[in-house]
Amino acid sequence: MAGIRIDNLVVGYGAEPVISGLSLDIADGSLFTLLGPSGCGKTTLLRTIAGFIPVRAGKLFFGDRDVTDLPAYRRDIGMVFQDYALFPDKSVYDNVAYGLRARNVPEATIKTTVGEYLERVGLSAFAQRMPAALSGGQRQRVALARALAIKPTVLLMDEPLSNLDAKLRVQVRETIADLQRQVGITTVLVTHDQEEALALSDRIGLLRLGKLEQVGGPEDLYARPVSAYVADFVGAANTLQVELATPTTAGALAHVALDGATLQAFAPAALPAGKAVLIARGETLKLGPAANDANTIPCTVRRRQYLGGRTSFRVATASGREIVIEAHGAVPGLAAGDAAGLRFDPAQTLVVAS
Amino acid sequence: MTRPFKDIWFVLSAATLALFALFLLYPLLNVLSASLSAGAGGQSGWATLIKDPRYSSAVTNTLLLGAIVTVTSTLIGVPLAFVAARFSFPGKALIALLPMTTLIVPEVIAAQIWLMILGNNGFVTRAFADWGIRLPSFYGWFGLITVMTFVYYTYVYIGTLAAIKGFDSQLEEASQSLGVPPGRTLLKVMVPVVAPSILASALLVFTLVVGNFAVATILGQRVYLLSVLTYQSFVSEVGTNPVMQSTLASVSIGIVACALFAQRWIVSRGRYEIVQGRGAKPTPLAGLATLPIALGAAFVMIVSLLPLVTIVAGAFTRARGPVMRWGEWTTANLERVFLSAPDPIVNTLIFAGIATVLSLLISTVVGFLVVKKRNALTPGIDYLSALPLALSGTVLGIGLMISFNGGFLPLAGTGAIIVVAYLIRRLPFGIRNASSTLYNIPNSIEDASISLGVPPLRSFFKVVFPLMLPSIAAAAVLVWTTTVAELSASVVVYSAGQETMPIQIFRLIDSNLMAQASAYGLVLVGVILIPILIATTVFKIDLFAAK
Repeated sequence: MAGIRIDNLVVGYGAEPVISGLSLDIADGSLFTLLGPSGCGKTTLLRTIAGFIPVRAGKLFFGDRDVTDLPAYRRDIGMVFQDYALFPDKSVYDNVAYGLRARNVPEATIKTTVGEYLERVGLSAFAQRMPAALSGGQRQRVALARALAIKPTVLLMDEPLSNLDAKLRVQVRETIADLQRQVGITTVLVTHDQEEALALSDRIGLLRLGKLEQVGGPEDLYARPVSAYVADFVGAANTLQVELATPTTAGALAHVALDGATLQAFAPAALPAGKAVLIARGETLKLGPAANDANTIPCTVRRRQYLGGRTSFRVATASGREIVIEAHGAVPGLAAGDAAGLRFDPAQTLVVAS
Repeated sequence: MTRPFKDIWFVLSAATLALFALFLLYPLLNVLSASLSAGAGGQSGWATLIKDPRYSSAVTNTLLLGAIVTVTSTLIGVPLAFVAARFSFPGKALIALLPMTTLIVPEVIAAQIWLMILGNNGFVTRAFADWGIRLPSFYGWFGLITVMTFVYYTYVYIGTLAAIKGFDSQLEEASQSLGVPPGRTLLKVMVPVVAPSILASALLVFTLVVGNFAVATILGQRVYLLSVLTYQSFVSEVGTNPVMQSTLASVSIGIVACALFAQRWIVSRGRYEIVQGRGAKPTPLAGLATLPIALGAAFVMIVSLLPLVTIVAGAFTRARGPVMRWGEWTTANLERVFLSAPDPIVNTLIFAGIATVLSLLISTVVGFLVVKKRNALTPGIDYLSALPLALSGTVLGIGLMISFNGGFLPLAGTGAIIVVAYLIRRLPFGIRNASSTLYNIPNSIEDASISLGVPPLRSFFKVVFPLMLPSIAAAAVLVWTTTVAELSASVVVYSAGQETMPIQIFRLIDSNLMAQASAYGLVLVGVILIPILIATTVFKIDLFAAK
């Protein structure tokens, strides 16, 4: 077991490489998620870690071992693919035994190891089945057992849940989380599903155009996004263009101008005066009848939707900007067309560079 | 289906089944039963077969030739397919033409071209003779194996290429991620998955070699082969009782049927479900491997395309009797073909034209019945429509001649029997191609049309038929090209005055008149090539979509 260290990595050819100068440390035994939209380079980065894509510059370490120039088959990785990639002509047992046989493990040991891992993914009864006779969820669990049975240094998973339906996705997600914790293996997971990333990860790296936009724990990304892009990708957020009258220091409360009113908002990083972006999650906003409280602007309710556990409001500010507010439970009063006051919580409203 | 006879599809099924019974099952049964009757000298054909060493050696020679050509075709087709699927190199686009060469160059022309190159009077043979080197005779095993290999390896190539392209290259990555190096990964992961396809196409080659008439007759000479002896018995037994031809035909049916059963078994067992097959991207050739791979591919390419060049040269070369005067150009050969002896061209166009139209009608209906309108009769239709694959052209021709020579349907001697032979011979081909898109057409669209008040048959023509059109168009081109090139059945059933181009070429080769044969060959290649070019360039039809 070992952590992964990526040092100034460049991947791809030409003037605009897919990944240009990326550095990242993934702690030993942790589950790290590469999150991002399609085309952001997350799969390229994973396949580079695996050794299927050559490195143009930079270094890649598993623990202290420099694996930059090692071919995939000598890196000692376990990999789980999006479409399972089970060998169709081999039984479940032979699929899981495949990597062990490549390592010349004695057949008796193979038998116990395969048995152990099939047990762990709950498929002991299916050892002699062919892959075609399994459901999608079962196939992905076989793939997981096959990757782990060789006791690899790192486990790499390329969108392992995206081919499964919603219910199975949650089940297999639990299996992955449990197994990863039991085995304690350093794991890199690629996904475009933010809920999956939040639920599974110790840390998340949000990729944008081949660069890490933000690296942090799930709560960091959700509660303290460094940019409107992160706020928008991880969960839903209201992002508003605002004016910053004076420069502000990191960690200070800034004063921003929105529709003529002045609002207080938290600035995680130092900002110059001028244009900035205000980020406010719907559930941090309060809607009330009066518009004269502190940090409150007047608005008009456009639409009200009761959704069971919460009520969703869409309001328009004086200048016509739309903001979505999520309130707990059923909220009496306030219907479409009513005038109201919208209060921003200074601690939970962020101002970042535009 | 409570009132089957009111159902239009049931009526069509019954009509199709009747047609197959008359022109396929009945001739086949006649062949099998004639082999059991007593022949000249009072003994049955089977007794003669065992006693006469000529016949028994024909059986072993045929099996041996089939086995050898199967192996040599595989040895060329599989590496070439792998190179084509996995590497890119300059001139690679030419490899895409390879499957076409089998279509464009009829077997009889392939045999002729090779003779013009390496035969007793071939220009390579003579060039070597001028330097004092005597090449081994091209007649016999040397020629048979060489020509058949280059005629048939494309079948292995096409089958293997499709399998490798359909192979999910992610499986290779999975194997490498588990610690197996790339070379061993190919052996352990790819080979088991693509092997059934390779084996199936290799067995197809085996059946084609066993049934081959043109190359076997032209180059076989002292090597007795089943198809040649069958034809010779037919020629010598005309008018007397058809014992020996039927016996030999039955042996060939038996051999081919066994191979086809083995093939079906392999295909049904070996069809693995490949999830979302992602072909590997071809990597550019680099380093030391470049030269042998590119040279090997180039050699196969040149040898495959050589017939086209030679046929053009031959058609325009002056000849005095059998002697080709290479380097002296003339248009006299073509003038003769078009002006003084155009009958073979006219016959070919008429017979093949009628057969192609009928074949498309039947193929469309049968394909639709078998895929979409299953009833009590369709399994029988399905089996019978594949049966011509087990019959070589010679066998089919003999069956038709035994069955329709006089009797209740005296077709022998008329042009109709040639059309029937064409039709039956190419029917499996037509059905497979015409129905290839049917599997992707949902049943619901036809139901929707019926629910909107359009009767079943009109619904078929209004909504299903337009969707089938691309595959029917591809089938039309393929059936046409293979029908105009047909020799082995038509040479058995034709009468004087009904010579088609392949028959005429065959006779001219027999008389060693290569320039005349080349002239007809050039016309034949044109008749084949022009529809292919129009279909692929003007109408953008993918001819090999069904394979």
